[in-house]
Amino acid sequence: MANLLLRRALLDAVRVPIGARASSELAKVGNREWVGYGFNGQPNYVDRPDFPLPAVRFRADTPDIKVLREKEKGDWRKLTLEEKKALYRASFCQTFAEFQAPTGEWKGAVGWALCIASLSVWIYMAMKLFVYSPLPASFDDEHQKAQLKRMLDLKVNPVDGLSSKWDYENNRWK
Amino acid sequence: MLRSASGAFINVVRKSLVPASRVSSVIPARWSHDGPVESDEEFDARYEAFFNRKDIDGWEVRKGMNDLCGMDLVPDPKIIKAAMHACRRVNDYALAIRFLEACKDKCGPRVGEIYPYIIQEIKPTLTELGIETPEEIGYDKPELALKNVFDM
Repeated sequence: MANLLLRRALLDAVRVPIGARASSELAKVGNREWVGYGFNGQPNYVDRPDFPLPAVRFRADTPDIKVLREKEKGDWRKLTLEEKKALYRASFCQTFAEFQAPTGEWKGAVGWALCIASLSVWIYMAMKLFVYSPLPASFDDEHQKAQLKRMLDLKVNPVDGLSSKWDYENNRWK
Repeated sequence: MLRSASGAFINVVRKSLVPASRVSSVIPARWSHDGPVESDEEFDARYEAFFNRKDIDGWEVRKGMNDLCGMDLVPDPKIIKAAMHACRRVNDYALAIRFLEACKDKCGPRVGEIYPYIIQEIKPTLTELGIETPEEIGYDKPELALKNVFDM
């Protein structure tokens, strides 16, 4: 308690403009005890694995918490498990296991990614059906064979390419 | 930056070429940027002495613990024992549990090897002070759930 008064007095002494962060953080703290430096010196509460002890207690002291705090000053072996848990929850919001628990967010992410990918395939099919003109006649088998024959007659790429693979004496592929 | 980099390089070269007698007891285990080098034992002793201060208050304990958890190391059982005594001195039980959870988290992927060793080393202190391990309280698994703020 004296600590809190001293720190508020210090803050008042170093009066900064209203827009400064400390006073707005302090306004949100309310009655909760400012117990430490935290991660940036401001009186805030965040559950962080890299700064395990936040600057303020999570809950303000209610009468039953005050009773527990008195008991806490005595032998800790006399505290029941429920009281110990209550003391923890008074100071902290979530345990490490809770704030590090897997959220399953990846399932939604993968699911939505696949949905959008399949949508893109549907859009392509629709484009093929309704937008693109039919392929020209020169794409069918008969025309392709005629084009290939013309390329061989012209001896296209005779050294290492197409015509080098054609056996001209026996009229077949090598 | 170049000057300090060359200074460190020259230091390394000097140490490897001429084993100076004065560095026999100090094993440079932690290099800070041109700062003084402290061995593991000295570091442990410093933090143990810090937590063992009789006049320590809650603010200092928390600052020490936060600093320790920010470093790239798992706190030595000696330091954890001193921290438990410090929690007892400031009459804060939740602090002790939180610090034990944080130490377990610091073990990283090798938690299976390191954490049982830590518990084995500090068990006498925990029994003496009446502190449960997070497993004994039931906080190694999630107990309560919190609604995600983005789903509200």
